[in-house]
Amino acid sequence: MISLSDIPARPSAWITPPMIVLAVLLLAAPDLLPAVGLYQYLGIEIAIWISFALGFNLLFGYAGLHSFGHGAYLGIGAYAFGLFQQHVAASLWGGLLAAVLAAGVAGALVGAFLSHRRGIYYALLTIGFGQIFWFLAMKLHRITGGEDGLLGIPRPPLALGSWQVSLTDNRALFYFSAALLLIVLVLCWRVVNSPFGRVLQAIRQNETRARFIGYEVWRFKWAVFTLSAMLAGLSGSLLAMAQQSAYPDVMSLHQSGLIVMMVLVGGGLVSFWGPVLGVVFYFVARDVLGGLTETWLLWYGLIFMAMVMLRPEGLAGMLHGLLRRRPALKPTTAPAPATEAA
Amino acid sequence: MIDLLPHIINGLTLGLLFALIALGFTLIVGVMEVINLAHGSLFAIGAYFALTVIAGSWFAGTPFGAWWLSLPLGLRYVLALAIGPALAGLAGMLLELCLRPTYGKPPLYGLLLTFGAALVIEELIRLVWGTGEQNLALPQAINGAFLLNGMIFSTYRFFAAGFSIAAIVAVWLFLERTSAGAVIKAGAHDSEMVRALGYDLARLRLVVFGFGAALAGLAGVVMVPIWGLRPHVGVDIVIPAFLIIVIGGVGSFWGAVIAALLVGLVIGITGVYAAAWSTMSMYLLLIAILGFRSRGLLGRKSALEN
Amino acid sequence: MSKTRISRRGLLGAAGAASAVSLFAGPWQHNRVWAQGAAKPIRIGITADASGQYANSGASDKRGMMMAIAEANERGGVLGRKVEFVHIDTETTAATGSRVAERMISREQCGFLVGAVHSGVANAISQVAQKYGVVYINTNSSSPTEAGQNCHRVKFVFDGNGTNFAKAAVKSAIERFGPDWMLLTNDYVWGHDTAAATKTLLKEYGGKVMEEVLIPQGTRDFTSALLKVQQHKPGVVSAAIGGDDQKAMRQQVVQLKMGDKPAWINSQQDWDDVYGLPIETLFGVFGTTWYYRLDLPGVADFVKRYQTMYPETAMRSPGNVFYNGYMSIRELLGAVERAGTTNNIAVIKALEGHKIAAKDRMQHFDATIDAQTHQVQQTIYLATANKAPKEKDDIFEVLSQARAEDVRDTDSAKLCKLEPYEQTPTFDA
Repeated sequence: MISLSDIPARPSAWITPPMIVLAVLLLAAPDLLPAVGLYQYLGIEIAIWISFALGFNLLFGYAGLHSFGHGAYLGIGAYAFGLFQQHVAASLWGGLLAAVLAAGVAGALVGAFLSHRRGIYYALLTIGFGQIFWFLAMKLHRITGGEDGLLGIPRPPLALGSWQVSLTDNRALFYFSAALLLIVLVLCWRVVNSPFGRVLQAIRQNETRARFIGYEVWRFKWAVFTLSAMLAGLSGSLLAMAQQSAYPDVMSLHQSGLIVMMVLVGGGLVSFWGPVLGVVFYFVARDVLGGLTETWLLWYGLIFMAMVMLRPEGLAGMLHGLLRRRPALKPTTAPAPATEAA
Repeated sequence: MIDLLPHIINGLTLGLLFALIALGFTLIVGVMEVINLAHGSLFAIGAYFALTVIAGSWFAGTPFGAWWLSLPLGLRYVLALAIGPALAGLAGMLLELCLRPTYGKPPLYGLLLTFGAALVIEELIRLVWGTGEQNLALPQAINGAFLLNGMIFSTYRFFAAGFSIAAIVAVWLFLERTSAGAVIKAGAHDSEMVRALGYDLARLRLVVFGFGAALAGLAGVVMVPIWGLRPHVGVDIVIPAFLIIVIGGVGSFWGAVIAALLVGLVIGITGVYAAAWSTMSMYLLLIAILGFRSRGLLGRKSALEN
Repeated sequence: MSKTRISRRGLLGAAGAASAVSLFAGPWQHNRVWAQGAAKPIRIGITADASGQYANSGASDKRGMMMAIAEANERGGVLGRKVEFVHIDTETTAATGSRVAERMISREQCGFLVGAVHSGVANAISQVAQKYGVVYINTNSSSPTEAGQNCHRVKFVFDGNGTNFAKAAVKSAIERFGPDWMLLTNDYVWGHDTAAATKTLLKEYGGKVMEEVLIPQGTRDFTSALLKVQQHKPGVVSAAIGGDDQKAMRQQVVQLKMGDKPAWINSQQDWDDVYGLPIETLFGVFGTTWYYRLDLPGVADFVKRYQTMYPETAMRSPGNVFYNGYMSIRELLGAVERAGTTNNIAVIKALEGHKIAAKDRMQHFDATIDAQTHQVQQTIYLATANKAPKEKDDIFEVLSQARAEDVRDTDSAKLCKLEPYEQTPTFDA
């Protein structure tokens, strides 16, 4: 079975062709979406969750650290953005920074606790901390609004120097989210192709071996957890802008489980682009199936189970398998030199 | 000054019930080295099947249905106590069959599959039995309340605690004193060796999974009058069960029992002083214990840690 | 060990193609072309929960709305236009509420949104609605904040809230059962707001709070709290416990035979939450906005219409959730008729301050749509379990009915700041 390790050892380009394809699709999306019977807001949600999923996959797919409570950091980012707008200043960049920092601090604290653990203990602790954050969001309702939510979060205008553009229209917010998504995309791509990324993969393959080679394993685990939490926080701030409110729901076990399912179904365990496919598939399936049946989550769950049983390499892996059987589509460049000795 | 004793008794009885579900969970984890996140759903399935058995709702309107309802409630309850867990056991075996493709792969896949199964089972429960909260009809003998020291206690709770003790003892006897139990224990300790000795590992796993699931289902039937019954109850219970076996140490029988009593006690006592934190107290306990003993109280190293 | 590269260009190209294909294979564009001469229908978006904790109530809510819509169409529509509806499941989740509202407004072209049970979902929908100026009727969310700090110019609340019910119950309960009260409060906003209203009233009428026990949301086992109630021996327990927690609590109180002493004051009791439960679990005094056996003109006929339209549902008699859904649509469409247009600002003005006669409400007293908070000020009923039921579903015994003015939520009125008309986008639905 293919795995994430099938990545060229040489540092690759900063911008790859698939990224260009994605950028074009994102640019065209506001016109594509209504044409196929979907709507702009969905595009924003997809862009947000793709950013979240890419950051999450650094932890889940690349480092092999299974976090089932990652929705908490999405939520923390959303609340931080909202609270910043309401109590400090109505500033876009300030809010984004606050979200990233708040989620990063939370991730750093939790990560410090988690990173010495492994296996199920790690997973269980992530659930525990996720639940604690959810509980706090509900309990501190004078700050967060509890189940009523933190409401009335504005969409501050985007100001670069003297040029200002309003984000109140969904289309504008979509372009902004897409732009941030592309930045996150390139960032993640650089991270996984860096020495840091390779150490993460080594930790995934065999943590003891990585330690014996001399790496301070827990530091890497802590760093990737914090990084993925920061990216989750960034996505959370966009979510707060999209909904113009923040709710505790995203921190629940159910929602944290959804990102895991999306990433697996998409093929995040074997491909960098897995999370992208997984998110798009989920949201489109939800809107399409949800319009047809009220038990669409049951169907999605069954699809997920079938994938785990039969095709754990996910959509990305399946596509790769399809492409391999049609040599005409293979690129003409020679295959990369041996990535790692078996 | 509030009298703590009733609260302590309350906590301990809750703990005994937790122990019942934790045992099934730890058996499965021990032998299969699979974290069964669907364990709570099997708990729920056992309870819902028991509900149907007592009410006879699938045969409503038929002569059989009418005859069924004419049976005394006590008899139907006892039958439900047997049939509900049995059906949960079957569901468990079905789940084990689904898990087969994931053996040999990293434990993540088993975890993910059972996670998906938990979601699917909860949705199926909603579809078949509806979203609302349901009640289980109890025979008069174990229903009601009694006065002790001026405080009212629920009769059922004590029945449930006693039943749990009996069940725990029965499971212990089975594991320690029977040859089938010995095979299961050996399988938990070293499954490769058991296979080398000639036992059919596949069948062993199937049986253990079914047994663990049946225990969960039994706990489900017993818990309904105390915890209510709603589709989400599977998730409600799997987190405490998971916490308990980790606190007690994965794979340890007595660890599970002790941890369960501890968790029940903590919930009971926080209910007095800091009621708002009583559900969080489990998580805080988990973090505290894993902070000091990274394998839990009585845990052993297992393949789950890779 | 595989040495093949995952060809990213090809992979993503194929992925892009696959996504595009799946999108095109998906929901067809609802570009409706109106038949020559036919009037554009009025489209109502029903935002009811079909899954999650409030799925049952959401289903009743939707049925009430659908019956009102069917009746409107039977009369020839509104302003000569047919009334259509779209329903999307809001999953008792706020983020889904935002998405559903956006979809209904942009893709489904709904001019009005109706429905909610959960306050978070209601808030999510109303924010989106306010952004576009779409009128939104919150049918069944009874959080005091709905008409308080979370009020909006486009939003109207058709349910009574915790403060209304507290005002109806507390004074007479002190007179009857004494001043020693204990509070059981679900530890979330709705619980706290309801308990706060009770505490204010207790202070006003000379009651005393012995202890307030906070019950976390999702609590399954109430024994700790009930043991404390036994240890304190209050005269009254005021329980602000909602949703599934309340149903679990009811069962456990009955098991301990604590339903009669102390006296229990529960807040509003939704019909869907108690229908089918054993009668003993319906202990204490609770509130409601309507009951199917009220001896008032129109009620029996209304019940019969329900039973005719929905012969297969398990619930054979309608309750307050169904009733609120029905009334919401009826008043909305009535406002459209009075305004003579579907311009949202005109409809809002037609709703504000509108007085509804008692016989049209099928309640004892007249109701008013409060112009300040947009909450319907209506008759509030107090009921308890019916010891002498006349038929299987006759489980309530109505104890009293209070006039809207007597139980008005004045605190919310102070907190509510509706957006000015000029700041609300205007359009023709």
